[in-house]
This record gives sequence, C-alpha cells and structure tokens, in this order.
Amino acid sequence: MKYPSDELREALAAEYALGTLQGRARRRFEHTLKHDPALRRHVAAWQARLDPLNDAVAPVAPPARVWHAIQRRIHPRTARRGLGAVWDSLGFWRGAAAASLAAAVILAAGLGSLSPEPTSMMVAVMTDDAAQPRLTVSWDSDERGDKRMRIRVLGHAEMAPDTAWELWMLPGGNRKPVSLGLITTHETQNLVLPRTVSTQVNAAWGLAMSVEPKGGSPTGLPTGPVLYKGQSTAI
Amino acid sequence: MGELMARCALRDAQAFAQLYRHTSGKLYAVALRILRREDWAEEVLQESFVNIWNHVGEYTAQKSAPMTWMTAIVRNRALDWLRRPNLEHGSEDYDLLLDAVPDPAPGLDAALQGRREARALADCLDVLSADQRQCITLAYVHGLSHGELAQHLQEPLGTVKTWIRRGLGKLKGCLERSNAT
Repeated sequence: MKYPSDELREALAAEYALGTLQGRARRRFEHTLKHDPALRRHVAAWQARLDPLNDAVAPVAPPARVWHAIQRRIHPRTARRGLGAVWDSLGFWRGAAAASLAAAVILAAGLGSLSPEPTSMMVAVMTDDAAQPRLTVSWDSDERGDKRMRIRVLGHAEMAPDTAWELWMLPGGNRKPVSLGLITTHETQNLVLPRTVSTQVNAAWGLAMSVEPKGGSPTGLPTGPVLYKGQSTAI
Repeated sequence: MGELMARCALRDAQAFAQLYRHTSGKLYAVALRILRREDWAEEVLQESFVNIWNHVGEYTAQKSAPMTWMTAIVRNRALDWLRRPNLEHGSEDYDLLLDAVPDPAPGLDAALQGRREARALADCLDVLSADQRQCITLAYVHGLSHGELAQHLQEPLGTVKTWIRRGLGKLKGCLERSNAT
C-alpha cells in the first residue's frame, strides 16, 4: 500500500508510535513498514521522541516463571516437548505466509527424527517471489567444529542447463553476501560450510540462493537472479 | 547494552540472560501500565523477549537506542494484545479499569527532568494545550485508544482525534527546534 503524501506518512508514523493507530489501518501500516525503510525511519524517530515518557515508569520485577517460560521457548534442549515446543518457538513465522508454516512443520518433523539428542538449531525457510517455501536449511547452532547444513528442496525443482545454484549467507545491514557453496536439486542434501563462515552464519540475517553460471559465481558475489531467500532463526 | 545486544545476535545465551536481568523490570512495568493485568503483562513480556531473541540480529541495522527498540517491541505486543478481537475481558471490568486511569501529568514533569531528551520533551509538552498534552500522554503511557480517550475525557471522538493530530504536529516542531539549538 502506498500512502499518497509525505504529510500522511508522517502523521501515521506518529500515531503508530503513539499507539493510537488501530485495527485495519495499523495492520496495513505494519505491512507497508516491512518494505519501506524511509517509513521505518519516521517511526524510529517518533519512538525516540516519545521514549522519555517511559522514564516515569518505576521498574517492577516480573515473576521468575516468565524467564523460565522464555528459556523453554528459545532453548528447546532444556525443555523439549516434541513437535509442540518446536511449533511454539516457530511462532514468529505466524506473520509470514501460511505456506511457510507448512514448510516449518515438515522441517520440524524431520529434525525430530534426525537428531536423537537435539542441540539448539537454526533454520531458514527460503521462499520464492510468491512467498512459497522452496528450500529449508537447518544447522546446529553449536559454534564448535565443522558446520554442516541440512538442505531440503521442497516440491519439484528444475535447474536450467549449464547453470548452478549457489547458496549465500546474507549477513544483514549493508554487508555483502558471502558464498556458502553450490547446491543441487536433490530433495535432501548436506553442505559443509567453509570454516571462515561457519562462525558467522548463526548471526546472519538469513540465506539466499541465486542462479549462477556452471561452477558458481565468477565474481564472488551473486550475478544471476536470486530465486529464493529466507530469514534464519533459532528453534 | 549495545554490546549485550551484539552478543545476543551471536546467540550468546548468557548475554541474553544479562539483558533480561537489566531490562525486564522496566519492560514489565511498561506492559503492566498498558495492560493493567499481571497475567497479560507476563504473557506479553514472554512473547516480547522471545521476539527480541529471534530478531536481535536485525537490531544493528536500526538507528535507535537498544532500550527504545525493546520498548517498542513490548508496547506493540501489548497494544496488539489489548485489541485482539476476542479479548475475553468483560467490558464492564475494563470500563472500571479505565476509570481508575490517573492523569499522568503531575508526576510526569518530575520524572522528565533526567536526561536531555527527557527535558526537551517535557518542555515541548508544556507548549501543547492541556487537552492535547493529556490525550498524548494517556495514549502513550496507558495505551488508550481514540475511543477510550473520548470516553475517559467525555469529549467527542472527532475532537480527541484532532487534539492528538495537532498536538503531535506541534510536538515535532518544538522538538526539532530544541534539537537545532
């Protein structure tokens, strides 16, 4: 949704930060925010302007059960209750395409059977332009040792002749993508990460896959169209 | 705090625990003030910290102070919670709670004498009319909607909306001038 005037954008950003933008207007605004960095800056500026109003609030210690509940949600290892717990911790995908959720479930089901003694996991559900999940990638967030990504190609995928699929880490911010290597169209596959990137991949924003000439990108950066991408998260 | 956030982005669980210790009291109080029910505030705090953990990697790209960023997450969650369509509160209870909302203005001035930004905001809130000031502080501090403000202040909805819109405009102008000096 495009808002017609700067004045309206500014006014909506102010009321959003104040909390008085509601219902459909608020949802529409939040949707626009995702793709509109300038509007996000307006909102951040208003949040900063109004923030001192919180100075008047005296802290209140929350009950310990809140922290325990947070722990259970972010470290499935300490309190794992099968698929239910994983589903819960994937709650942040609720806002994304419903289809991604389906992929997350497939993935979660796979994880359960793969790892009898689960450590903390990272996953990325990579979607195409139509927000359809196409690839899921998961790895142990443990920083030690070699890092192996498990990749699952969803549905039927075809690679054009004389091309290659290259997987990229997107560090986030303005930093350039970093190549993780080439992948195939096989339904399940593993990719061992170069040691130089294995320590950074947990903190990266997410992953992307581009179409490159046979043998991979000649420049070290994506040269072909980015077909799929997705944000990574800990489960 | 920025360093703690960076370590959280690197999935450092100890840093996250430390971040929680430093900020949860304030953030819980912010949620409590908007929701006015401890069980709801606990839920919202829990959701917010899971969200913070999952999205802390995106934080560096933002241009706001860590606490402002986290407060915004908690406030948004609390407002969403308050306005979910199937909220099971009896409307009478909520009206009673609403009646109990104090006018935030008296204690606010004293609290806003701390940091420079706070003093600037206090000065600029003084430039607004009393109605504008009351609407804006009640909306922000207690999460009141336009309709709730109209009810609380016994004024027409349109009037309340105008106060807020004009008040925010004036506030921005004033803060920009005070930043420039």
